[in-house]
Amino acid sequence: MDLTLVGQGLLSGFLFGGVYSLMAVGLTLIFGVMRVVNFAHGDMMVWGMYLAWLLSTRAGIDPYVGFIVCAAALFLFGLMIQRGLVERIVDAPHEMQILLMLGVALVLENAALVAFGPDPARVRSPLSQATVWMGPIFVDVARLVTFGLAMALTAALWLFLARTDLGRSMRAAADNPYGARVIGTDVRKVYAAAFGVGAACVGAAGALVSPILPFQPTSGLGLSVTSFNIVIIGGMGSLPGAFAGGILVSVAESMGAVFLSPSMKELVSFGLLIAILLFRPAGLFGKTAG
Amino acid sequence: MTQGGRARGTDRRTFLKTAGAVAGTAVAAGFPAALRAQAPTVKIGTLHCVTGPLAEPGQACRLGAQMAADAVNAAGGIKSMGGAKIELILGDTQTKADVARAEAERLINAGAQILMGTFNSGDTAAVVPVAQQRRVPFLVDISAADPITANVAKSVRDGQQKVQYVYRNFPTGTLFGQRAVQYFTEIFKEAGVSPKRVVVMHANDLFGQNQARGFQAAHKAANPSWEIVEVISWPEPPSDLSTEVSRAKAAKPDVIAPITRPASAQLLLPEIVKQRLDIMGIVGPGSPGLYEAGQIAALKENLEYVMASNPWPNFKNPRTRQVSEEYAKRSGGKTFDTNSGYSYDGIFVLADTLERAKSTDPDTVVDALKKTRFTGGLMVYGGPVIFNEMGDNPNAIPAMIQILGQKPVVVWPKDVAAEKVVFPRPKR
Repeated sequence: MDLTLVGQGLLSGFLFGGVYSLMAVGLTLIFGVMRVVNFAHGDMMVWGMYLAWLLSTRAGIDPYVGFIVCAAALFLFGLMIQRGLVERIVDAPHEMQILLMLGVALVLENAALVAFGPDPARVRSPLSQATVWMGPIFVDVARLVTFGLAMALTAALWLFLARTDLGRSMRAAADNPYGARVIGTDVRKVYAAAFGVGAACVGAAGALVSPILPFQPTSGLGLSVTSFNIVIIGGMGSLPGAFAGGILVSVAESMGAVFLSPSMKELVSFGLLIAILLFRPAGLFGKTAG
Repeated sequence: MTQGGRARGTDRRTFLKTAGAVAGTAVAAGFPAALRAQAPTVKIGTLHCVTGPLAEPGQACRLGAQMAADAVNAAGGIKSMGGAKIELILGDTQTKADVARAEAERLINAGAQILMGTFNSGDTAAVVPVAQQRRVPFLVDISAADPITANVAKSVRDGQQKVQYVYRNFPTGTLFGQRAVQYFTEIFKEAGVSPKRVVVMHANDLFGQNQARGFQAAHKAANPSWEIVEVISWPEPPSDLSTEVSRAKAAKPDVIAPITRPASAQLLLPEIVKQRLDIMGIVGPGSPGLYEAGQIAALKENLEYVMASNPWPNFKNPRTRQVSEEYAKRSGGKTFDTNSGYSYDGIFVLADTLERAKSTDPDTVVDALKKTRFTGGLMVYGGPVIFNEMGDNPNAIPAMIQILGQKPVVVWPKDVAAEKVVFPRPKR
């Protein structure tokens, strides 16, 4: 086996894992705190991508700077959705949650279709084509930057949950909503903040990924499925799980592409999902039942 | 036994009232119909993927079909059927096979007497059984996968079906492959170079697999001086092609032969540049994604000098140039290309068929279709539009298109070329 190819595959896979992690972090936060499965995840991310595209083409703002605006915009959107819709179904059976979020996904996808048309779009950034060569192996600069930012964002989120009052309230509400209410936590406000922050992560992810992936309004479903795969493997509700899961899935797919065949790489990542569900259903970092 | 005063059966008054009402309704309903009979229409169900990942080419197809229907009607409609106008009933497959099937049924229920579509091989294949079951002639304006017509032809030969209702005015995967190999060899010879190693990279959907198979089969049969050293595929649409391109690079290619869709082309071409593949050129055996206006706008210099063997309008025909200008106006500046062109020609082929069939009876239309010898097409053809025993048009051929100066131009065969082919591509 060509060692250069294997080495390159490992490196590319590892760096792309940062992209996957970023996608998964928002999803796991919302589930971890509110036990709501955000089926509109992929479509929210597509809107993050389109916002980045608008900023880039209309205002000339590079997505590696503009992602902050996308995060803020989606934070507000998340708050709205939570207050207006999700709040009503937090205690409802799972089927209602699924239906509601699928409905939101449909509305988002078709709104994007109406607003931007169906053609694939890409954001051009000066970093898009930059590479750094180390002998026969190269580092894709765009992915390196995204990896770095993914790590930074995950670390920031971790600090937020561990050190700030709001973060601690979120963890309390996640562990025991009734108990949290008893000690005076405004659970409504916490849930709204959680959904908003989760949505902001998704928006940032979309913006940072927009120079790397061509996207269309119909891309949402594929992104949702990939994110779910990562989050289930890493453990739903676990931040380090989302990060590790992203890297693991990406490296697995990359090695699948190198050793088997590129068209089989999804076979590898879904095979991994099945293995995890069989042997460790809570995910790598997930808490086992309770 | 009488039931307390109620008369058994109908009495004369009720009978006269009912008969009068029925007769009156019949006259009222029939009378305008008699007036309407002076402007009959032929309903053609036009089914394309106007939303979904293949929306850009799908919308081009729809606009081409609409323009052609308008042109036919403006010239007097189907004269042998009393000036019948062509009415298009539009359908959207959403680039999904199950939706395509359902839409085909819906169009037929809405009165479509003929079907045309769909651009995407996977969706077209799903519509074929509907057309055969409901006995509705189906002209495939664009779709390359061989099985679309081959399966039906075989089942008619084997006696499982009586009549073939599916016909295709577009090159098949096999024909794409044969012409691609021929053009590759001729262009290499013209350029005075002899590349040895070609790597095929293709999308893994029905169309991509079929094209790749056709190209490889044609290569084996022709046995030219260049080899296909590796075939790499990816699930469509892909999120990442870096490993695929790394694998291609490891095969030390002289030429990359991509079979893409618009989304994968947008990932593949920049990746080839990023990984610094030292190649003579990128020459596609025939696929979307390498010539559309939207693709050129998104890929810019990454698409320059890229070639693809695709069916193309014959711009040496003055009528083509006229239609192309009108198309640019109606589409907001887009180029009249493979997709809009073949859908346009498709409607004209159907109009010609209806002139000769003088009826919309399915079997009569099919008989007339089989006898087609249409020379009024706008595309590059190798002869008149005819249909062979498989239901395909062997004269529908591709031409080698190259992006020069950010515009797609025909560069091969020489007799239809607009500009000289540039190969190998200049070093950056």
